[in-house]
Amino acid sequence: MASKSKDSGEVIKNYHKQAFEYVSKALRIDEDDSGAKEEAVQWYKKGISELERGIAVEITGQGEQYDRAKRLQDKMVTNLNMAKERLSLLEATMASKRRSD
Amino acid sequence: STTTLTTPQNQVEGLMHQLADEAGLDLNMELPQGQTGSVGSSVASAEQDELSQRLAKLRDQM
Repeated sequence: MASKSKDSGEVIKNYHKQAFEYVSKALRIDEDDSGAKEEAVQWYKKGISELERGIAVEITGQGEQYDRAKRLQDKMVTNLNMAKERLSLLEATMASKRRSD
Repeated sequence: STTTLTTPQNQVEGLMHQLADEAGLDLNMELPQGQTGSVGSSVASAEQDELSQRLAKLRDQM
């Protein structure tokens, strides 16, 4: 990490914030049956890369501070996997649609 | 049609206040360093949970 001075929990939280914003945008489009799935795909991709950055942060600190950061990272891992799964499904659907058009 | 789960800004704020209440904090108060961190983390955690729920719902629709 370049910025050792900054609390790793804060760094992770900032990635979370960005990821939350992107994935929420993707979900809002995706949850709408008539939503533009191509747009949702772009937001999912952005969200996934933020989640990956947040997960890659090495947690410094100890005790309660460490546990909190770790819990948040664990949840981000869950959402990373779920978002990736959703993304590949959307991409597959879009690809088969293109073929049948 | 599907029932979608969107979370308007006011609900998010409501949740933040609820979490702050549970932690016995006033959001308008100047908080000591450690405590702001803990409230922020709870909110972040809850937000990640929300994403999980919405993603799971989409997955189950298929």
